[in-house]
Amino acid sequence: MADNPELESFRRKWREEVAGRSKPRATPPSVAPDPQPTRFPPRQHEASHRKDLEEEGPPPASFDPEELAQQVGQLTVKPEDEHEEDGFTRKDHHEPRSALEHFERAVEKEAAGNLGDSLHHYRRAYRLDASVDKSYRNKHYAHVWKKPTQPAPGTEAVEADAVPAKTTAPVELETIPTAELIASFANLPIPPAESLVENTPPPPCPIAKMPSEVIGEILRYVALRDPATFGRVALVCKRMAYHFAHEQQIWRAVCQNPEFGFAGMHYTFACDIYGNPVYTLDGVRYTPFPEGGSFEIPKPLSSWSQVFQSFPRIRFSGIYISTVNYTRPGAQSTHQTVSWNSPIHIVTYYRYLRFYPDGSVVSLLSTTEPVDVVPHINKENMMAARAISYKQHQRQLADQGQSLSGATDPVPAVAQNALRHAHRGRWCLTSPVPRPESSVEEENTGAGPNGTDESSDPRDIVVETEGVDPKYVFTMHLSLRSPSASKSHVNPSKNTKLVWRGFWSHNKLTDDWAEFGLRNDRAFVFRRVRGWGIH
Amino acid sequence: MATISLMSSDDALVTVERAVAERSILIKNMLEDLGDSGEAIPIPNVNETVLKKVIEWCDHHKNDPPTAGDDDDNRRKTTDIDEWDQKFMQVDQEMLFEVILAANYLDIKALLDVGCKTVANMIKGKSPEEIRKTFNIQNDFTPEEEDQIRRENEWAEDR
Repeated sequence: MADNPELESFRRKWREEVAGRSKPRATPPSVAPDPQPTRFPPRQHEASHRKDLEEEGPPPASFDPEELAQQVGQLTVKPEDEHEEDGFTRKDHHEPRSALEHFERAVEKEAAGNLGDSLHHYRRAYRLDASVDKSYRNKHYAHVWKKPTQPAPGTEAVEADAVPAKTTAPVELETIPTAELIASFANLPIPPAESLVENTPPPPCPIAKMPSEVIGEILRYVALRDPATFGRVALVCKRMAYHFAHEQQIWRAVCQNPEFGFAGMHYTFACDIYGNPVYTLDGVRYTPFPEGGSFEIPKPLSSWSQVFQSFPRIRFSGIYISTVNYTRPGAQSTHQTVSWNSPIHIVTYYRYLRFYPDGSVVSLLSTTEPVDVVPHINKENMMAARAISYKQHQRQLADQGQSLSGATDPVPAVAQNALRHAHRGRWCLTSPVPRPESSVEEENTGAGPNGTDESSDPRDIVVETEGVDPKYVFTMHLSLRSPSASKSHVNPSKNTKLVWRGFWSHNKLTDDWAEFGLRNDRAFVFRRVRGWGIH
Repeated sequence: MATISLMSSDDALVTVERAVAERSILIKNMLEDLGDSGEAIPIPNVNETVLKKVIEWCDHHKNDPPTAGDDDDNRRKTTDIDEWDQKFMQVDQEMLFEVILAANYLDIKALLDVGCKTVANMIKGKSPEEIRKTFNIQNDFTPEEEDQIRRENEWAEDR
């Protein structure tokens, strides 16, 4: 009995699993005192005290050690091969059958913030196969999941402690610093491919004969069209990696580009909250790197690629999503006397923000999942959906599924219903440099409840939107943050998160400011959306 | 209508309208410096086929306003290619790069731009492996180096 190997291995797995589950629960998020206590003098919003205001850790995983959570994030946010894939299209989901399929579905739901469904699938998966997490990892992370040395049968007692250490220790290679590595690629030729069939001439590789300045010109157009593609070119061969890192003129042009560079940033409101452009008297808007102007790389940065990477910048090629989960106790059934069976509701809702280069924004608060609504969030669909809600809402409900804007761009009813509640708005970043005295007055409208926002963080952004009633204006204070680097993401995209600094509603008639509580609200995270801002 | 003669690298004589040939800054400067002696101008880096292709482009664009120094930036900012140029560039890859090299050598900025934009379009939306396949480039990274660069450049993926 005691030496039944199957039973032994089952026990071992069981212990590992228990250890794996209890471990991450115990570690609280790193409590760092807020290094910038007072940025908004008017009234400290409760949200700005939050410890997650600075670098926020990985999202809390309800299931396994952080390491898996990161990998899951990697899996869902960045599909390795399908570059234009953004995860906002509904694939034809067949119902999961096997334990692994349930598990995969659960991970998917969890990433989408849908904890209720996620839990349901996790449970099903474990009921079908107690070690399903292993098979999941073996399937998706075979390359990182180095098989740990099997411990001898006698060491089970200490094994539980050893588990986390084993899983997080990848093979560290002796590497030279990346900058040096790339510098060593200078002047290397572009290597032509070898012939596919022996004794035949290799396929022609005319690009290898191009001089450096021509390669630079080509890459400039690649970058100006889509910097992400430029990043991929860097992985083609060593010479390209060198160009990517050292073509400062290209990065400078990218920084000045109005579509995704800083010429598209607004440091004062460019329109009213309904999206109508406002004109300043002199007609000159501030931009950090004006065309033809003389300016230097802002300190402490040292290259234009660093500027593009880390200078505060709003992205137009996707959506910012804040997923909010909270639980509340449900009512207990009168027929039940046992208290451990009282239901708990898990509520999930989303805040969506889509920014436009013209200074306008679409804001949506909805329980509709990203996959259903994100591809349809734009100003046209919002206005169309809102027009319907006032006039022919009843009729529309009667023939649901009928698209509104004709055959060209059908908006599903579920997205349309959500978009009826979307709000128009406007956004602007706080200026990265001290503003000249003269323009302070015009700022008063947007700076906050009392309009005395003197010392501002260049990462701060103000979003004003319509309220639920025309007499209200909602003011969100947000601030750009970067995800923290991790083992699998040593150099992640910067400024892809928007943390809350405050949220107010302003009654235009009485000039009253009311504060919204943000107890459950979480940071917005940027997700690229296919087809937005790329041509 | 004044014409001049060009001598390609493979010793072919090509006669061309002077205004057309002067789309090339190299030829234009040469004519200004040396005067039109009536002798053929040697173009040692460009063969006859490519030279004729380049002249075809110059002929179509002979009435374009000359590119001044300051609209340089405007031209380079847009990534669009006009329809005629797109058709013109529908050639095999070797020819495309030959034309680019010739435009670079002859100093025809607008043609060089069209060529580079065409190549940029071939790169657009492709993965590194697809780019290698398109241009027959060999991957000269070790797997470790490739991984290191990928992680270093990851930030660019989200733009």
